[in-house]
Amino acid sequence: MSSLNLILCAVAAAALDICILVLLYSAYHERSTSNKRWNRITSFMELADNVNVYPLGCDEILIGRHASADIRLPDMSVSRYHAILSVSNGIWTITDMGSTSGILINGTPVRQAQLIPNDIISLGNRRLIFRQRRDINVR
Amino acid sequence: MSGNTGSYIASCLFVLLAHVGMLINVFINGDYNSASQVFLLAGCVVALDIGYFVAMLFFKQSSYTIDFLLILILNMSTIFQACFGKVEFDKDTIKHFVTCIVALVACRCGYLLCRNHKWLQQQRKYFYIGIGILMILILTLTGSRAMWISIGSFSLQPSEFIKPLFILACATSITEQQNRHKVLGFYVVYENLALLGLTAAICLLQWWCRDLGSLPTFMGIFVCGFLLRICYPKAKFSKKKLIAAASALLAVAFVGFKFAPAYVQDRLHADIWNDINGNGYQQSQALIGIANGGWFGKGPGHGDLCNVFAHENDIVFATISEEWGLMFALMTIFAILILISIPLITPPRSYYHATMAAGVGAAFTVQMALNIFGSCNLIPFTGVTIPFISSGGSSMMISGFMAGMLVACQSPTMKMPAQHTHSPIHKRRQTA
Repeated sequence: MSSLNLILCAVAAAALDICILVLLYSAYHERSTSNKRWNRITSFMELADNVNVYPLGCDEILIGRHASADIRLPDMSVSRYHAILSVSNGIWTITDMGSTSGILINGTPVRQAQLIPNDIISLGNRRLIFRQRRDINVR
Repeated sequence: MSGNTGSYIASCLFVLLAHVGMLINVFINGDYNSASQVFLLAGCVVALDIGYFVAMLFFKQSSYTIDFLLILILNMSTIFQACFGKVEFDKDTIKHFVTCIVALVACRCGYLLCRNHKWLQQQRKYFYIGIGILMILILTLTGSRAMWISIGSFSLQPSEFIKPLFILACATSITEQQNRHKVLGFYVVYENLALLGLTAAICLLQWWCRDLGSLPTFMGIFVCGFLLRICYPKAKFSKKKLIAAASALLAVAFVGFKFAPAYVQDRLHADIWNDINGNGYQQSQALIGIANGGWFGKGPGHGDLCNVFAHENDIVFATISEEWGLMFALMTIFAILILISIPLITPPRSYYHATMAAGVGAAFTVQMALNIFGSCNLIPFTGVTIPFISSGGSSMMISGFMAGMLVACQSPTMKMPAQHTHSPIHKRRQTA
């Protein structure tokens, strides 16, 4: 193989390498845009109890006692698959999944309800607050 | 375009740079009769690049990386195909170039159809109907022991069209996992039973028409969907279920190998170096070609594998290795792997899209593994194509459509089709 052939092959391969790296970097860069878009979709909401804060990172979130639930509440008063939170057009809805103790929103029993900020959701003995996400930079 | 103008322009420039680097290599090192052939090839490649960059601007997406990787790989494949044997922009190259454009259009269609998963979930019966119609077409039009439908000078492989529908059916069933019904003391999900039946029917059909190469692809999609299903909604694997699934898979594979047709048994037990002019011809020539090419190849158009049957699809990895070198061939495969790994960087926001992305990833990975390992004699030769690289209209179009499904996972629409409320979280409507 001539040295010219070798150099040109190496140059073409290097160009391809660099291109792939740039595209990978671009994918990481686009991730932040995607997160911003997701925040707009979810209206910057989160769920919290006395100890934990649960980010809402998916359009359907399963709440329950089972280990495979998205938000796990290890309490016998909570059913294995208790409720599901879903978002559409910036509106979060909670739906009972046939739980034993049901769902209470601000003390009112519901099977399905659209949530508004600062709603208290009671699942068995556990209480969760549906609130606007707090900026970690603000003290 | 939504934001990221800088990265969009940089991506455009570097994709162009990668193609120009390859074209300079072709121009200086290539084996061609007339330089006009190279200029024609370069013109087409650059025009398609720029055309697609402009066309993408009309689609408001939050991520364009998959599109850039797609155009990068497709135009690379055009350059590879134009160089096989001799650098010329002949009838076969034009055909491949046209199929690349078709793949890009299919990608846009895939994106537009699959970006709203809630709408897709409502259409699930049509996936089953579509697969049923395609299976009837295969049964009635291809005949036993055949996998192609000939329409004039065109031939279609209907089993390719089943792949995206099957992925969509798998993805639809994932969101039904909570709707369990008690039947004979067992909790069952009807969607799972329907999907299991569909998978069995597809496998039997593939067996009947001897398209055994596609069988692992369908099994790959199903197994991937099945794994996601048993650990829905979180990736928490149950050891018992995993062991049971692996045992079942091994049992199916064992039965499959045991009762495989005679021609498959021949391939399974073929010693390619003792049967160099028979069953082992393509694989032995492919291995010789890879060895001859070395790391940096013999140069575009200088290869000898063009004289081997199916050099442009079944053993395309070896043909590229011979002319462009093993390093370049591996990097091409790496680019495809990056394309299917993009959902890992920006994870989809719905289980539906996550399952869809996993299904597409499984299909592409199995296809690539079968082709590359098959042509390197690590597994029996199957004749499955490498997505976007091998020539073939049906394969290119469906691969493009599935790439569009990946784009949809990255830039989904999260709106319900019937709802038009845009003011978030102000009113409450309850249903007691």
